[in-house]
Amino acid sequence: MKTTFTGGALAVLAPVAFLGFLFALPAPDPDGGAWPSSDFAVVGALVFDGEAFQEDADVWIAEGRVRAVGPDLDLPDSLPRVRGRGRTLLPGLIDGHVHTFDTARADALRYGVTTLLDQFTHPSVLAAARAARETVGESDGADLFSAGFLATTPGGHGTEYGLPVPTLRRPDEAAAWVDARLAEGSDWIKIVYDDGRLYGIDTMTTLGLETVAALIDAAHARDRKAVVHVARLADGLAVLEAGADGLVHVWLDEVIGREDAARIAASGAFVIPTLSVDLSVAGDRGHRELLDGPAAGRLSSAQRASLGRSFPDREGSRASAEAAVESVRRLYAAGVTLLAGTDAPNPGTAFGISLHRELRLLAGAGLPVEAALAAATSAPADAFDLGDRGRLVPGRIGDLLLVEGDIRNDLGRTLDVAAVWKDGRPVGLAPPTEVLGEAPPAEGPLSLGDFDDGERPAAWASTTDEMMGGASEAELEVVEGVLVVRGEVKPGFAFPWAGAAVGLGRDGGTADLSSLQELRFRVRGGGVRARVMLITAGGAGPPPTVSFPAGEAWAEQRLALADFGGADLSQVQAIAFVAGPAPGRFELRLDDVEVR
Amino acid sequence: MIAPGSPLRIHLAETRYQLVALSRTPAFAIPTLAFPPMFYLFFGVVFGGGRGSAMPTYLLATYGVFGIIGPALFGFGVGVAAERDNGALSLKRVVPMPASAYFVGKLVLSLVFAAVIVVSLFSLAAWGAGVALQRGQWLALAGVLLAGTLPFCAIGLAVGSWARSQAAVAIVNLLYLPMSFLSGLWIPIGMFPAWLQKLAPALPPYHLSQLALEVVGLNQGGPAALHVAALAVGSVAGLAVAAAGFRRVGAGGGIA
Repeated sequence: MKTTFTGGALAVLAPVAFLGFLFALPAPDPDGGAWPSSDFAVVGALVFDGEAFQEDADVWIAEGRVRAVGPDLDLPDSLPRVRGRGRTLLPGLIDGHVHTFDTARADALRYGVTTLLDQFTHPSVLAAARAARETVGESDGADLFSAGFLATTPGGHGTEYGLPVPTLRRPDEAAAWVDARLAEGSDWIKIVYDDGRLYGIDTMTTLGLETVAALIDAAHARDRKAVVHVARLADGLAVLEAGADGLVHVWLDEVIGREDAARIAASGAFVIPTLSVDLSVAGDRGHRELLDGPAAGRLSSAQRASLGRSFPDREGSRASAEAAVESVRRLYAAGVTLLAGTDAPNPGTAFGISLHRELRLLAGAGLPVEAALAAATSAPADAFDLGDRGRLVPGRIGDLLLVEGDIRNDLGRTLDVAAVWKDGRPVGLAPPTEVLGEAPPAEGPLSLGDFDDGERPAAWASTTDEMMGGASEAELEVVEGVLVVRGEVKPGFAFPWAGAAVGLGRDGGTADLSSLQELRFRVRGGGVRARVMLITAGGAGPPPTVSFPAGEAWAEQRLALADFGGADLSQVQAIAFVAGPAPGRFELRLDDVEVR
Repeated sequence: MIAPGSPLRIHLAETRYQLVALSRTPAFAIPTLAFPPMFYLFFGVVFGGGRGSAMPTYLLATYGVFGIIGPALFGFGVGVAAERDNGALSLKRVVPMPASAYFVGKLVLSLVFAAVIVVSLFSLAAWGAGVALQRGQWLALAGVLLAGTLPFCAIGLAVGSWARSQAAVAIVNLLYLPMSFLSGLWIPIGMFPAWLQKLAPALPPYHLSQLALEVVGLNQGGPAALHVAALAVGSVAGLAVAAAGFRRVGAGGGIA
């Protein structure tokens, strides 16, 4: 009897023990090792799908695209899982207003900005950008859509950056201009309607409203959108009246009235407020917190440089950050479609990180968290017809931003990035290892040329706008122990220059000037206005510049390095002494150039 | 309590006696239980490529199949042949015990062996080779392996019903080892020359290993239903051959 009982108990206990053993076996650590790629699921996350939050939802990525979204998805056992509990999952963010320079796409991606809408860049980058965005696979940067060159007049906004912008003046040039852009690969047309007066610039020209209207019509006739840069409310209302699809900034001069806001809402046009750059233009320095914040570790030197830079304070500027923010509040209240944009890498902004600040600025202007996030996801995808991004719904590209915590009450947490996926592939969040100056910080005075031996030093060379398609000329020779720079600044390029540059590092390397204070040189120039440009490694956008007078007599110039706003002095490649942009012949004589 | 004389009790008792009998023949029990984990220790843990390699997971599935078909083939093939030869089968026939108790006992024995092998292999894989699977995968893999003993019990029975005990040992070994190798249980079938790979679908262990590999996402493809069907055909064929075998032997000691 006893043995039978033992046998029966064993028959019950053994299977139970076996089952218990199976339940004790280890499951994969959701975050163990590398983030999964291409086919995986984020489980139990707070999911923002592009319009609204879903709590405790799973997002299944298959072959780099969203396969399914919802609570308790029936996921295959073998599918790698990522912990979503305690985290928020968003579609990859879309920055509606940037200008791409070399590191832009990779820099943006490290902050979960997976798509960039470029509102003016050199079209040479467009073909590669188009190829990259049309493949779902390995990717080294955010996807790029672009207006290419912008539409402006000779001497108008957009011509001051050193890009050979093809300009136009009259309405009858509009159709050919638009055709040329589309042939270059522009995805839409961007137009400048801004004479600079609001910022205190009184030399800037701009297109006439008829030409703006003709450009808009030409774009629409070719089934493309036309967006416009304005600085004043009246200009914005005028171009929207002319049929513009959207404004790429909010105006900075006054607060919009409720009727006007309602009219914009009724027109269906969108506004990209770019509060990040507007606040920087108006003198706000709130962006500096990004340089010291917890997410600063992912900044490249180019991002640090553009964040650290400031717009010059101009007398007569009437740009008002408060007016811009208040207008955004009224636009949202009226139901106008708002898109998040930064205008990176303008002074005070940087690719990627600044879009997170823009979200907070939009929330500060009265947008609920969902609306602010939609402005960086579904809204730009809809406004620019980017069909397969901006939402976490089946079929869309697997561009994902996973952040720690619940962001509904604190948009600042979006910078606490756990992981980023582009096309379902995990993105490395570490900043690029950059080639820093091979020299240790220069300590004593650094002599760049006294020209006393009568030879032109190898480090000196001529520099002109020819590299950007301009026609200016310059040549160097050493005469009687002095460097003579002769040349002619010629129109034909929008922002011409010509002069001499001295390289600081060997073989195109850099020098670390961060412990030095000023640039000293003796100069004579027959009364021209000349400039010094500091060329730094990783610098994005136009180089920081300080101008100086070159008079009839020899004079010593002392320029504080600190005045080259935002320049990364730890890696200076070259210093250029140039004439321009005023056209004409010039002769600069330089001697005893040193940094101390 | 189970009433004395009830069918369940008889089945339990027969199972228990077979277990006791088996525990007294360590020459069968020890190698059958020790070889699969030993192989796995070498090729899955020590030479498995470490964390991140798929090899430990692959070999967990295939050595699992290798492990569970051994006791099934030997228990039924050699066991039935031997017990018929030494008269134990005739003895069991004359006691008031349903014939099914004999087969259920053998089957439970195979399952117990399979469970022991599952525990040892899974332990080595989980805590030695760093294999981590979802709970559902561990359960499904164990389920496939336990259920997978059935077709091989039938095949073993086919051998045991026809062969004499000495011949049965040789036949089962000839079936077991080459079949295991050619089905890709020792090294992945993808490493075979193409002509050799074509042979595998004719072998039942290949189909069971594909079902096991499908659980961990490492199968070669091909619908699971096909593999199940192949194993079902193998089982029916084995039972048919066994039935014919027992009929042939008839009163000469057969039980059926």
